[in-house]
Amino acid sequence: MNNLELMIGKVLRSGTIASSTLFAVGLLMTLAGYRSELARLLLEAGLIILIATPAARVVISVIEYIRERDWLFVILTLIVLLALGGSVLAAYL
Amino acid sequence: MPTLTAPLALIIFGAGAVAGALGVALGLGGGIFLVPFLTLALGFPLKSAAAISLSTVIATSSAVTARRTGNQLINLRLGMVLEVATTAGSLLGGITAQFVAETTLQRLFGVVAIAVAFVMFGRINRRNVIADPAADIGRLGGRFYEEESGGMVAYRIKRLPLALFASFIAGNVSSLLGIGGGIIKVPVLNAWCGMPLRAAAATSALMIGVTATAGAVIYYGHGDLRPLLAAPAVLGVQAGSWAGMRFAQQASVKWLKILMAALLVVVAALMFVRSLR
Repeated sequence: MNNLELMIGKVLRSGTIASSTLFAVGLLMTLAGYRSELARLLLEAGLIILIATPAARVVISVIEYIRERDWLFVILTLIVLLALGGSVLAAYL
Repeated sequence: MPTLTAPLALIIFGAGAVAGALGVALGLGGGIFLVPFLTLALGFPLKSAAAISLSTVIATSSAVTARRTGNQLINLRLGMVLEVATTAGSLLGGITAQFVAETTLQRLFGVVAIAVAFVMFGRINRRNVIADPAADIGRLGGRFYEEESGGMVAYRIKRLPLALFASFIAGNVSSLLGIGGGIIKVPVLNAWCGMPLRAAAATSALMIGVTATAGAVIYYGHGDLRPLLAAPAVLGVQAGSWAGMRFAQQASVKWLKILMAALLVVVAALMFVRSLR
């Protein structure tokens, strides 16, 4: 249980640091007048990492509950993951 | 779609900082204030305001939860259970949007916010914590170290169906209003479900990320979520959650409850103003 909390903390911390760094560099480049393809890519990558971070946290939870053989919570977290997958489908259909 | 200038970036950064601080203190993603701010004050179209707001909510959730893990305030099991209701709600959000007019929803929201504010005011001195850390906490309760009591405290979860219902509604209106739903979940968990405010806030901060992701993905897919406008908001969240951490730990629960109730009144007023436009 505690183990899962620490893993979630690591995933969220990495995601937050990565997306903020990409955003900061991309934003500064743009504001400084370098409206380049690179700046656009950095910002886009930052946004994708930002949105993927909570989903990654759910994936980690599914895996950890499987390891703990806590089947009720495997099902619950899988439902959440499927629902997130459903919204990705809804976005591109 | 407004173009990003340095002053505008600074304003959005500031708004993000407020969201981050509220996230640390009360488990709110700040979307409930960010959307009216972006539309009413800065003249953003509703869709891009909601999209920026949802990405701010995600950033708040991740940043606040990352800072919090390890101190047992987050109730992971309850969070995972309530997330099922929240995501189900957001999947059905499109259906609600078709049958309920936006102005009706805003007025309804306003009325509920006022009612909940009164309940919060009435319960300012009531505590949900059980001083005996060995108390039976049931399947979904929790224990954490509380400064005020100077030791470990416990709590039990009551009225789970109500918590599930509130989470469903929070997810349901999330993408329509551009919010993570903390403003619905935290007061309900605290006033009726037996959860101490700090635990409710920490658990809400965890959940709002998943709620907002479902909506943000759809705005992103439709091209309404521009990274250049989300960037300053997200960076502001980092600054705000960092600055808010100290304040949130030192503020008393009573003070946090007053802040929460006051914010609910402001939200109600904002909703009525928006419904009149």
